[in-house]
Amino acid sequence: MLSFTIRRIMIVFPTLVLVSIVSFGVIQLQPGRFTDRYLEDPRFSPETVARLEAQLGLDRPVWEQYWRWVTGIITRGDFGFSFFANRPVTSIIGELLGWTVLIAGLTMLFSWLVAIPLGIYVATRRNGFSDAVASFFGYIGLATPDFLVALLLVALVLNLGGTNVGGLNSPQFIGAPWSWARLIDLLNHLWIPILAVGTSTIAVLMRQMRANLLDVLNADFVRTARAKGLRERTVTYRHAVRNAINPLVSLAGLSLPELINGTIIVSIVLNLPTIGPLLFQSLMAQDQFVAMTMLLFSSLFLMLGNLLADLALAWVDPRIRYD
Amino acid sequence: MRKLALTILAALLMTALAQVKVVPDYSALGIVPGTPGGTLRLVLGDTPPRFFIYGEISALIQTLTHQMFDPLVTFNLATYEIIPALAASWEVSEDGLVYTFHLRQGVTWHDGVPFSADDVVFTFEQIVTNPEARAGDAAQFTFNVDGVERKVTFAALDEHTVRMTLPVPSPVFILQIRSFPIMPKHKLLHLSVEGGAQPADINNAWPTDGPLTDIVGTGPFMMAEYVPGQLVRLVRNPNYWMVDAAGTPLPYLDMLEYLIVRGTEAQAAQFLAGNVDQLNIGGAQFPDFKSRELAGEPFRVIASVALFGATPHLAFNFNAADPELAQLFANVEFRRAMEHAVDRLRIIEDVYNGLATLPGMGTAPADVTFHEDVTGLMRMFDLEAAGAGLEALGLVDTNNDGVRNISPTRELEFSLTYGSDSRVWTDLATIIQSDFAQAGVRVHLRGVPVAQLLATGLAGDFEAIMIGFGDQPDPELRKPIWQPGGALYYWHRATQPAEPGGQPNFDAMADWERRIWEIFDQGSRMVDHEARVELYREWQRLGAEFLPVIVIAKPNSIGAVHDRVANYIFSLGVIPGYNPVPLFFISE
Repeated sequence: MLSFTIRRIMIVFPTLVLVSIVSFGVIQLQPGRFTDRYLEDPRFSPETVARLEAQLGLDRPVWEQYWRWVTGIITRGDFGFSFFANRPVTSIIGELLGWTVLIAGLTMLFSWLVAIPLGIYVATRRNGFSDAVASFFGYIGLATPDFLVALLLVALVLNLGGTNVGGLNSPQFIGAPWSWARLIDLLNHLWIPILAVGTSTIAVLMRQMRANLLDVLNADFVRTARAKGLRERTVTYRHAVRNAINPLVSLAGLSLPELINGTIIVSIVLNLPTIGPLLFQSLMAQDQFVAMTMLLFSSLFLMLGNLLADLALAWVDPRIRYD
Repeated sequence: MRKLALTILAALLMTALAQVKVVPDYSALGIVPGTPGGTLRLVLGDTPPRFFIYGEISALIQTLTHQMFDPLVTFNLATYEIIPALAASWEVSEDGLVYTFHLRQGVTWHDGVPFSADDVVFTFEQIVTNPEARAGDAAQFTFNVDGVERKVTFAALDEHTVRMTLPVPSPVFILQIRSFPIMPKHKLLHLSVEGGAQPADINNAWPTDGPLTDIVGTGPFMMAEYVPGQLVRLVRNPNYWMVDAAGTPLPYLDMLEYLIVRGTEAQAAQFLAGNVDQLNIGGAQFPDFKSRELAGEPFRVIASVALFGATPHLAFNFNAADPELAQLFANVEFRRAMEHAVDRLRIIEDVYNGLATLPGMGTAPADVTFHEDVTGLMRMFDLEAAGAGLEALGLVDTNNDGVRNISPTRELEFSLTYGSDSRVWTDLATIIQSDFAQAGVRVHLRGVPVAQLLATGLAGDFEAIMIGFGDQPDPELRKPIWQPGGALYYWHRATQPAEPGGQPNFDAMADWERRIWEIFDQGSRMVDHEARVELYREWQRLGAEFLPVIVIAKPNSIGAVHDRVANYIFSLGVIPGYNPVPLFFISE
């Protein structure tokens, strides 16, 4: 297991290199350069544009720009310069990364805590009334776009006289030292994005859990377990669920980058300081180093997510062991 | 002896008192003496790119700057006359060439350093007239005298006296000075040419991740805190030089908080939830807000005809990247035909809920001095006339697909750039796209964030675009926009100077553009008021005739403010020298 983990971690680096080359190449294919806008602007003399290009390294050949960027990351942790914000990329992303991970993590936790028990509940009461109701709401949650759910929740809060209509904190808590009050206020604001993004995830997970569990409940070994005289509860949770949950664990690994990129519109609508809107903005503004760094992080999260999913799978299912 | 000492003491005291600025009598506007204390919350539409106003053209930076910095002179909020700010008084020489400003004494920067004439000279010499300062305005201080470019010169005669010497008399010079907040020399010298840096280095001043203690002004509020992406917090300047009629030091408010909220709907939601105390809204939101007010919610909505507010216009890129389109767009007959396809009345009804009027051509209808009513010259909505105009240019639908053709293999289609995170721009773009389609012109919508709209236009990165420029009480103040070759004459970049600070490219100008250039050139120095007004009236008629851009509508100014805020005057935010916020106070 240990050697497996180490091998998987080591594979991350060459994969990231490959991803960075591909994303760098794709971004270079975009017509025009960032400095084009300055060339046309009469307030910028050609000398200033030339100096800007030299400063940003844009006058070098493409491969050299890439090499400078990669060595910068490896030796100095310098992910490049944002032309648009006139600041190092790390400073921009650093401000937003913490919140992004927190919101994504909480959403995942919430979705799982709701979807799994719900899936188990409806599978054991298959085709009953609760099954129909849960499926109905599940489909609605899946069909409604996340940002629409977010907007509807905001409208609901407003009509009920609430004040947490976006952002992370109420104004009096922004920038204030951390306290229980601030934490509660934070949760009071976060429930909208978590619910908005979580509803579709819950729907998918719940249906998946239900289907897997139904398959397992019809298997031979479950019949044997019942025949042995075990309580239904033990049969369901100790034996059936542990088998049914395998595919979902793999799903979980794939959902990590999804949560970060999939929340772009919700973040824009709810004014959350996350990196989703930043990716969108940087692509529009041809801010190449910001875009590439974001893509790099996205790939990193995907690989880490997969690794964690595989390890979790091994933990849940003793039949799975890696060498 | 004692009597002499007392007299001298009294004289000194009076001089000191005379320097303290008492607010003019605004009782006609409903202003009353207020009580100190309280926090006011406003919105900022996006993260500011930096905190230095001259480093970038950004309404976000302007909003913050006007609370933290002062210009030499400012507006009387009731009469729009020019009254003293950092300059306590000034004289103009007989020939109109020499302006001597006597600066207010006892003013300090937020860090305690005394304000002096050196700061004023530094601001104008090193920043404002620096051709590479991205939001500077060197052109305002350069006059073309018989073909020679002559500049205004600045000198500090002593610690509290600044002299500005003009090459020719300029009747609006005092009005222009209002636009330039004064910057601290001791904090910015190292980024200036005088301090040994390159001219463009000044644009790097005061990034958002730099030390906030660098940002010092003389204004009513000081920079206190910046939470990235969420909030800018300003606190009261306890040493501000302005007092109210009762002698209470201004501002009344202890704290000013700007919540960073993107999108008009999100801002409206925050206002209705009580997280924001004042919000400027548009006609589209007026019915909802007004009905809530009438249902008893604790705020009021005030709509008025606007002078300053932004007038949206539609511009075609005379120098579009595509040569066929460029040729078409530069053709006045094409623009005239397309004007027939812009349904202004419907836009006023549907987008602004009737809270807008037909626009002027570069002036606001409320500007009674300079406004020329060109609605008679405007081409009104008439799809048949639009079709006829396009056909006369040879643009006929040869392959019967509903879209006219430029050539047998090429359809008449182009992109329309608009502000995607704004309800108003989105609605405007949609209406124009659908009406143009009925005229046989296919338009592809291309959204960019509102914060990037102007930069996109200035870079020429568009085919057709919609942008809004504000109006001013004197057209001279809008010269960079409407004078061909100006820094903001973005739809015909070929007319702009090859080098920053150089001569415009006259060869690229059409005859009517040449005439407009002359009008602005003469108007900037004409002393005879009547003749000057007549010149600008001619400009507006030429504009309606030859359509540099197609102006769309003049929206009303609508402000919503919670009842707890007293002394509210419609707050224009970005208008330089127009800062009513120090008069607001909280009364619960």
